[in-house]
Amino acid sequence: MSLWLCLRFDQLPLQCLSHCEQQPVAVMAAQRVIRINDCAAALGICQGMGAATVRALAGEEPIRLLERDKQAEQRCLQQLCCWAYSITPTLYSWQFDCLQLEIGGCLSLFQGLDTLLAEVADGISSRGYCAHHGLAPTPKAAWLLSFAPSVTAMAIQQPLEQRLSPLPLNLLKEFAATVDSLRRAGLHTVGDVLALPPAALGRRCGKAFTHFLQQLLGQREDLQTDYKPPSNFNDEYWFGYEVKTNDELIPAVQQLLQSLCYFLRNTQLQTSEINWQLIGSDKKLQNIYVRSANSHSDWKNWYQLTCLRFEQLHLTSGVEGLALACPQLQPGQQESIDLFSPHNQREPLAALLDRLRNRLGLQAVKKLGCRDEHLPELAMLVSNDHPGNEHRASQHCAQRPFWLMPQPKKLRHHGKNLYWNDALSMVCGPERIEDNWWQEPVSRDYYIATDKSNQRYWVFRDRLTQQWYVHGVFA
Amino acid sequence: MNAMLEQIINRNDTWRGRHRHFQDQNISANSDCNDSSGLASGHTALDAQLQQGGWPLDSTIELLSDGCGLGAMGLFLPAMERLSDQGRWQVFIAPPYIPYAPLLAARGIDTQQILMVHPKNRKERLWATEQALRSTTCSAVFSWLGAQDYSYSELRKLQLAAASGDSLAVLFRPNQAHHNSAPSSLRMQMREYRKVHILKQRGGNQSIDVDLSPAADEPLQPQLWELPVWTASSQHSSAMSL
Repeated sequence: MSLWLCLRFDQLPLQCLSHCEQQPVAVMAAQRVIRINDCAAALGICQGMGAATVRALAGEEPIRLLERDKQAEQRCLQQLCCWAYSITPTLYSWQFDCLQLEIGGCLSLFQGLDTLLAEVADGISSRGYCAHHGLAPTPKAAWLLSFAPSVTAMAIQQPLEQRLSPLPLNLLKEFAATVDSLRRAGLHTVGDVLALPPAALGRRCGKAFTHFLQQLLGQREDLQTDYKPPSNFNDEYWFGYEVKTNDELIPAVQQLLQSLCYFLRNTQLQTSEINWQLIGSDKKLQNIYVRSANSHSDWKNWYQLTCLRFEQLHLTSGVEGLALACPQLQPGQQESIDLFSPHNQREPLAALLDRLRNRLGLQAVKKLGCRDEHLPELAMLVSNDHPGNEHRASQHCAQRPFWLMPQPKKLRHHGKNLYWNDALSMVCGPERIEDNWWQEPVSRDYYIATDKSNQRYWVFRDRLTQQWYVHGVFA
Repeated sequence: MNAMLEQIINRNDTWRGRHRHFQDQNISANSDCNDSSGLASGHTALDAQLQQGGWPLDSTIELLSDGCGLGAMGLFLPAMERLSDQGRWQVFIAPPYIPYAPLLAARGIDTQQILMVHPKNRKERLWATEQALRSTTCSAVFSWLGAQDYSYSELRKLQLAAASGDSLAVLFRPNQAHHNSAPSSLRMQMREYRKVHILKQRGGNQSIDVDLSPAADEPLQPQLWELPVWTASSQHSSAMSL
């Protein structure tokens, strides 16, 4: 049996704009008050009042009049959907201020209705909202019951029709004309309408209304598109004051990362790059990219890497807000470290790489690779990424030095003697390496030379220019 | 024994002089941290002189030489080969040149494990070295500290980081540094080709010269020290061609 929980955020127009409880706040739409907070209600301000009346009632008290922002309401509702997705996968937003959650399928996950409702209440209050609850076998009935006193709204053991019947018909705003004609016929509550024969009611009130009643009682399918979590993550944090030092950013960083990782965990996604945006007081944006070699969804890891980047950050001007975005999300893969390794390795290999790269810069950390080439400088690959290893077992390597200079360096010579800090004498060679004739011909005779302290060098004579160079150092 | 004194003695970084045997008798049950045998260096003559029978893995090793420790790297090649099996990083911090990948590959070292870090200044160099030592993901850390002076406390920080992990930790420093004291448990100096002078060794022989003769190299590793066996005739021809 399906069980629907409707969360109706009655105060959403107010709560999406302000969480202030110390000062009277009123939200206006079309010059009329639509929502007020408790402080304003204490002053005697009611819904439907005009701005002038509100100001007169407030008197000396400073009151904030806010214009209703429907986009902000939708954004809040989306965020709430994102949160509720962790409770049930079957949910959608309804009527601009409601969430419909199908919880019949996840009761055993939460070990009963009571723990689930406690979890929901906890989640809502920690986000600074309050909601009316309605519980019924159909979503429409759950919504309608959210207007009822909480005793009947949550009493699922009672018959549905009995719980619905005391509710007034004028709650059905979308059928205003029908409700009006029914009122004139003396029908005021849902119970009055349900008592009538359905066929006669259908003839009088039209198909849409009977469909609604059938869906209300579960006699007709009520199909809605389920909420789908967005494909990328964006969130922001406003400080409400100007931040001048890096340390003050940290709480915001933590909160944003936690909500990111909550999102990633719910959607079973991971990311390998996050993008911080510092919104300056002069509306300038500063982007900071934090990358990781592996994609993961562990917030502590991201926090550590972000702190490394923020340590080096110099705030040129004050910061008012912080935004976090993840442009690319990948399906999750878990990397685990070898439990049975004899070495007490406590983190994946990529963790060190990430820390070094984020502190020292991407260019500062390099990896090595081999290539199948004859020229020594081409036989080796230095790159930021995993270089491909096209290794062949080579016999020549026996006479190769440990260190290779990035560029061969010219050797001085006096007469027959070569100098590199010290006089060099040849001990081994020559070995001719000729290659690259199709591009820029190279022909070299390599020798192993030694100086007085017995340090071995790898030197060559360029046969085309007759110049001597040192190319490597033996270890 | 006084409990506090015992606690201090049990610390891994406490200098215990030559009282190793005494130590072993007293703590028999959980003494594996004190008893950790070293990593065989691949040079028999050197292993014989090193107190743990090889490179100590719970401390930094200081290697003093001129020429940025370029020639001294050969000492650690056999150790790198062994550590390659662990599949962890082998980190080079501020290396003077690039290790030649085909040689490493020919010696059986997985070049994918090599990580070269190029810090921009002294502070970053210390930070990167400490990070690499503290992280449990490295089997070997080679750090070229360069010609600058380092205070005892900075080096001690590295020593403590090394003591917390189990990686081969080598600090390359110039010859001049041997006048200053250092917290490493093993300090060596490369004075001549194939000649290692042990300046200091915790609980072991000190101030001795170790000759690493080519004959003592492991027979299966003919390429040690990268100089092939040299016949007189070819030497002759090379001299002629010059």
